[in-house]
Amino acid sequence: MTEEQQLKVQAFLDGELPESEGQEVAAWLASDSDASALLGELKNTRAALKEFDSPATAGVKLPESREFYWSKIKREIERTTPVAAPAPKASLFHWFRRVLMPLGTLAALALVAVVAIHSFSGGQHPMPMAANVMLGDPGALTYRDDAQDMTVVWLSYPAENKFAETSSGDTLSPK
Amino acid sequence: MAEFAHSSAEDSALVRASQRGDTDAFEELVARHRDKIYARAFSMMRNEEEAIDLSQEAWVKGWQRLVQFQGDSSFATWITRIVINLCLDELRKQKRRRTESIEEMDEESGGVERQMPVVTTNPTERLERGELRQRIDQALAQMSNEHRTVLVLHEFEEMEYKEIAKAMDCSIGTVMSRLFYARRKLASLLADLKQ
Repeated sequence: MTEEQQLKVQAFLDGELPESEGQEVAAWLASDSDASALLGELKNTRAALKEFDSPATAGVKLPESREFYWSKIKREIERTTPVAAPAPKASLFHWFRRVLMPLGTLAALALVAVVAIHSFSGGQHPMPMAANVMLGDPGALTYRDDAQDMTVVWLSYPAENKFAETSSGDTLSPK
Repeated sequence: MAEFAHSSAEDSALVRASQRGDTDAFEELVARHRDKIYARAFSMMRNEEEAIDLSQEAWVKGWQRLVQFQGDSSFATWITRIVINLCLDELRKQKRRRTESIEEMDEESGGVERQMPVVTTNPTERLERGELRQRIDQALAQMSNEHRTVLVLHEFEEMEYKEIAKAMDCSIGTVMSRLFYARRKLASLLADLKQ
């Protein structure tokens, strides 16, 4: 028997031949004792392997306890699973930043507006002052009094930038 | 109470719970299928330590990919395929590390086995189950990784030739040749052991 014929017997057993070729091989197997004997051996081997791997006879047991085996898996799962970032703690500082800072900014704006209106209504200076809110930084306000030749910069507490950290609060700067 | 619920739940319910992040449910799945997953890894690697490590790696990968599991196959089949792929990767790495050419050795050995006389005795009829198991185990241990793997994938996992070829990154002809050699080798080893 050639190698090709041997592999055909095997493919026939495994159901890997097209239907027409399968019929041809079946006819050949019926008339060739060597081919038929080979088919028998392959069938026996396959049956032995099925018996070997069947759940009823499977004797291979994991040589570790359930707890020990799982502990390593769990540790690896915890190590590789991304942990969600913990929610920030609600502290007085965070409450201050979230609530009081905007309120402080609004209060400062209101103060500047009141001073500006008051000065304007006095008639002594048509546009004596200019209030300038630095929109890019809601924590800082600039107040300019041309009559007094003075600029006031209001920085909200707490300090959030390097300049503010080194400053004591309101800053006066000459023209 | 929760532990009891897990132990009595079906696999599909445990999978759904695990997909929601319930590690207790996943632990129950591990407990149920760990022997089978380990046995499959051991049948391919023939090394207890490697089989334990690879089976545990399979469970970790299973957890990480659990969202991809759609239930097209059973969970046991799905996790078994993961451990098989890990074993195949490991065997490839080991093969690259070896200096000898397995392909050449296979061809030589296969040539001898093809000319071997047909074994007419049926081992399942003559041997007790336990003895048969032991002898097949010994015979599998004597095979090369390639021959044992193709046998495991075809006979135990019931994979078709083309599926095995894809998994092992070789041609269908090579799969057929290796499978034929492995079967004949096993038949001869069982026959020898019987005498």
